[in-house]
Amino acid sequence: MAKISELLPRSAIVLNLQSKEKFEVISELVHPLVAAGAITEESEFVSAIARRENMESTGIGLGVAIPHARTKAVSSIVLAFGRSDSGVDFNSLDGKPSHLIFLIAAPEEQKTEYIMTLARLSKLLRKDEVRIGLNKAGSPDDVVRVIVQHES
Amino acid sequence: MERILLYVEDTPGMAAAVAWTLRLAKGMSCRVFALSVINPDAPLRRDTQTSDAEERAWSMLYEIEDDAFQKNARISLLFETGDSLQQLISLSTSYDAELIVASADCRLVCAELVRQSNRPVVFVK
Repeated sequence: MAKISELLPRSAIVLNLQSKEKFEVISELVHPLVAAGAITEESEFVSAIARRENMESTGIGLGVAIPHARTKAVSSIVLAFGRSDSGVDFNSLDGKPSHLIFLIAAPEEQKTEYIMTLARLSKLLRKDEVRIGLNKAGSPDDVVRVIVQHES
Repeated sequence: MERILLYVEDTPGMAAAVAWTLRLAKGMSCRVFALSVINPDAPLRRDTQTSDAEERAWSMLYEIEDDAFQKNARISLLFETGDSLQQLISLSTSYDAELIVASADCRLVCAELVRQSNRPVVFVK
């Protein structure tokens, strides 16, 4: 199974998210994945993400959100990462805004890989040193370096 | 009823507890809080010595979330560390859960949960 760092293209790392609203942030993160060819049907993928976001919170607390969807609109499992200095309201249970946002896109048929990627990413992001490293990262290479350093 | 707290553990009976809870939640249009607790001080079970307990806990939570999503049931995931019984009781208050659901084969001391909680508890077999 691929590591988190291997699923995150540098072109899909946005260190200064411009949007302030949840669905605009998601669009900002979806665009590079569409450009990379990982998401084949943008509108279908965004609809799937929106459906989940409208049903439940993907903010896991600690300033982290992991919007995710598994649909036919995705050709291979892939991640995007965005950082927001001001924070974005992802309806986290702790009531705090999310500053570190990882978007996960997975093909419909890759359920096991999708679940495991979510689990490994959630575990990784509970580590203080990972969140501190991601908040300090000055470049996409720094982001990948932090993840590589801490993922087992 | 608006909120159900589902205690999640890696036991053979968990699937039945999840199915029952999601059916109830869907039928009553209420929200499920799925809680997994890892106790760093507790010894790992023999069959999970080489696996990562935290990663397993998260994967169970996301499996349940995916299942809930397919069934149009509302769910939020909670992951905590510490004493399972105390976390369950404390979070049932924090989230104002009107019902606690656990699998009948969970490792919690069932009688102790019923005694300490001031909310209804259902053990699903």
